[in-house]
Amino acid sequence: MIIKPHTIAPAAPTVPAVSAEAIGFTYHGAERRALGAVSFVQARGETIGIIGASGAGKSTIVKCLNRIVPEFEGGEFRGSVCIGGRRLDGLRVSDIAGAVGMVFQDFEAQLFSTNVAHEVAFAMEQAGMSRDEMNARIGPALEAVGLAGFEHRDPTTLSGGEKQRLAIAAVLALGPDVIVMDEPTTDLDPEGKAEVFALIRELRARGLSLLVIEHETDELRACDRLMLIREGEIIADAPPADLLTRLELLEQCGVHPPDLNRVLAALGIAQHASDVDHAETLLRNLMPALPHGSSAPATSAAPHPLIAPDAAEQAERPLIEIEHLSFSYPGGPRVLDSVRLAIRPGEFLAIIGQNGSGKTTLAKQIVGLLKPESGRVLIGGRDRTTLRPAETAQQVGYVFQNPDHQIFAATVEDEVAFGPRNFGLSAEEVERRCAEVLSAVGLEGERDRDPFLLGKGERQRLAVASVLALRPRLLILDEPTTGLDYREQRRMMKLVSELNDAGIAIVIIAHTPWLVAAYARRVVLMRRGRLLFDGAVRDFFADEELLRGSSFRAPEVTALGRRFGVIALTAAELVAWLQEHR
Amino acid sequence: MPIYLYIERTGVLHRLHPAVKVMALFVMFWSVYWVDQPLALLPLGLLMLAAAQSAGAWPNFYRLRWLFIMVIIFTTLAWMIFYRRGPALVDLKIIHLSRASLLFGFGRGLKLAELLATSVLFLSTTKIEEFTLGLSTLGVPYRAGFAISLAFRLAPLFMDSAVTVYQAQSLRGYDFNRGGPLERIRRYVPVIIPVFMGALRKANATAMALEARGFGRISRPTSFIEYPIAARDVGAVIVLFAIGAIYFMIYYTGYGTIAVR
Repeated sequence: MIIKPHTIAPAAPTVPAVSAEAIGFTYHGAERRALGAVSFVQARGETIGIIGASGAGKSTIVKCLNRIVPEFEGGEFRGSVCIGGRRLDGLRVSDIAGAVGMVFQDFEAQLFSTNVAHEVAFAMEQAGMSRDEMNARIGPALEAVGLAGFEHRDPTTLSGGEKQRLAIAAVLALGPDVIVMDEPTTDLDPEGKAEVFALIRELRARGLSLLVIEHETDELRACDRLMLIREGEIIADAPPADLLTRLELLEQCGVHPPDLNRVLAALGIAQHASDVDHAETLLRNLMPALPHGSSAPATSAAPHPLIAPDAAEQAERPLIEIEHLSFSYPGGPRVLDSVRLAIRPGEFLAIIGQNGSGKTTLAKQIVGLLKPESGRVLIGGRDRTTLRPAETAQQVGYVFQNPDHQIFAATVEDEVAFGPRNFGLSAEEVERRCAEVLSAVGLEGERDRDPFLLGKGERQRLAVASVLALRPRLLILDEPTTGLDYREQRRMMKLVSELNDAGIAIVIIAHTPWLVAAYARRVVLMRRGRLLFDGAVRDFFADEELLRGSSFRAPEVTALGRRFGVIALTAAELVAWLQEHR
Repeated sequence: MPIYLYIERTGVLHRLHPAVKVMALFVMFWSVYWVDQPLALLPLGLLMLAAAQSAGAWPNFYRLRWLFIMVIIFTTLAWMIFYRRGPALVDLKIIHLSRASLLFGFGRGLKLAELLATSVLFLSTTKIEEFTLGLSTLGVPYRAGFAISLAFRLAPLFMDSAVTVYQAQSLRGYDFNRGGPLERIRRYVPVIIPVFMGALRKANATAMALEARGFGRISRPTSFIEYPIAARDVGAVIVLFAIGAIYFMIYYTGYGTIAVR
């Protein structure tokens, strides 16, 4: 039976949108099964969040729903899936497109057309719809995702959030029984993430059946149910209020427990906070004497070991000095506009801002991949343009956002040794450095492995190791946690912190608020090529007006702390303050 | 900087039926193929310049100006090494500088530049959906036509990726310019491998997304955009046939070849 999207009669409300019965799967050549025997039912209009560590089997589950598994990704499949009451056995992936709309993480890979309206029409063309029917569906689909009026725009000119909303519009137009989103916000900046999460909430309110895989548990609190996956099995299937209070279980499964719940649990409140307001109410019920306040000066905050200003550090000559730096790409608008910045040895700096604000361009200027239009970059007091590549590499290392942009060697060891060998170091020195950095990044046991067989987190650490092997005094990491699950993010940032403790200055380009708050000591906020803020991370999160205008949200614990007149950067910090005021 | 060549305009070339544009691409390739004589290639070059003006495609030609110049110069020089006919004007050892080798080499360079110019013009005036429709109208199976046009869309992304990989390896001290010509080619392995692996991943992700959107479900999908055949399309086909026939005649009568004296 072929499901025709334009002829689907709405199934009776009692018929589930999805019914998966004992689905199991083992990828070709894999030693262990990706899925055991997973069973679940999704009622019509229900929104289910799927959480779990990378490799737990989340994507495999949703790929079974439109037969990408096993039709596209070969292997041994067991069990059965019904969509809207119809069994999928024997159908091709394309036959199910009208019943299961799928939105992928990589928005570039799922847009095929040169204008927005045509992008939405693409799947309808494949279903053989008439032009009139396509026209009738395009408008409402674009309106539903807030892209009405964008019909003639080229999708490549849209922002990341808009591209992902367009991908959702394209599946919405077919009127599917269920929409599946596989980590739809991973590659987006905070503004893009907020756009997509707002849309998901809206689609849920309109009664659509949604399945959303997401690492950011805070955003899944509005779901009807959450399924926690570990090693190809559903470990827990419960409403968010029940599952998100099981902090230990979430940690064990590599999932970020909501920080609000962590704060409550630390104070003995075994309840789920649906948002900051709710958490405030619960805390005030427990501690009626808590002060009121919308914000407080940074100095009133509990002492944080990371923010203590280091006088010696401040006095030292900057490692990097950027003087009135301006830059435009050929034929394009100004990307950097008279930027001034100094980075001192041992600093931990986060550069934040929307996509296109100039963050990566600034980093590329520092390492010498781009030449200034005007102004200059000094490294250790010397104009960067006068330094040889080897001299620059010994001062500044740059880890690209995607580790796969540099990995090519046959073994992990060769990958790390590549840089030192290029600089003509002796075999003994190369060996010494390989051992040193592989140990630092926790890959000492993987020396002979093929880098392409490593997980994403391991490849990211390998990329860091291969740059570290050049022993730079400053390490720039461009969004080093993108695409990593919570456990891998923590591991990566622990590594970066340790490097900083060892004296290496760190600059991270980051989009994740909790990560900036927890690890950075200084924040530079960029907008349209200019520095909007440059100061201590606590001062940044204390400035509500600045935050509102920056589209960068404070972590929820910071927002909660502000209700009591304190600027807390982490859950532990807020808990410590609350316990003092108990 | 835009990574695609399509320029949004409403000129005559833009409004031609996609099948006519694909046909024009073929006829231009065909015409260029038959002649070696630079003088015979000149009218085609002038025709393309006029078309570029009409289509507003100058920005793309300007972007690629160095590519055109390099293609002509290096092809001319390369053929002067291998095409050793006619009396040498000056003894330059490896390079055989004769009137015939100069004309032949320059002709080859001009040919390549005109093939490149035709492609740039085509991509400046044709969206990938139109490319697919044009191919399928001319009888190419839809899946094959779509794959060809998608390759044009993905190529700039792979180029972009290659630049990033090149930068990443340069920052690790890698010198791409060391050694002789063969060694230099070999030294691009650290770029080729990551780009190739990235291309495989991207192709896999794209193929999966295409299937999930119903691609290949029916052999002849409907088209959202309507392309009625207009009088200008008929006129263009007549002109194209005439150009193709004229250039075949130039070849057939021997006027397109280089005379060795």
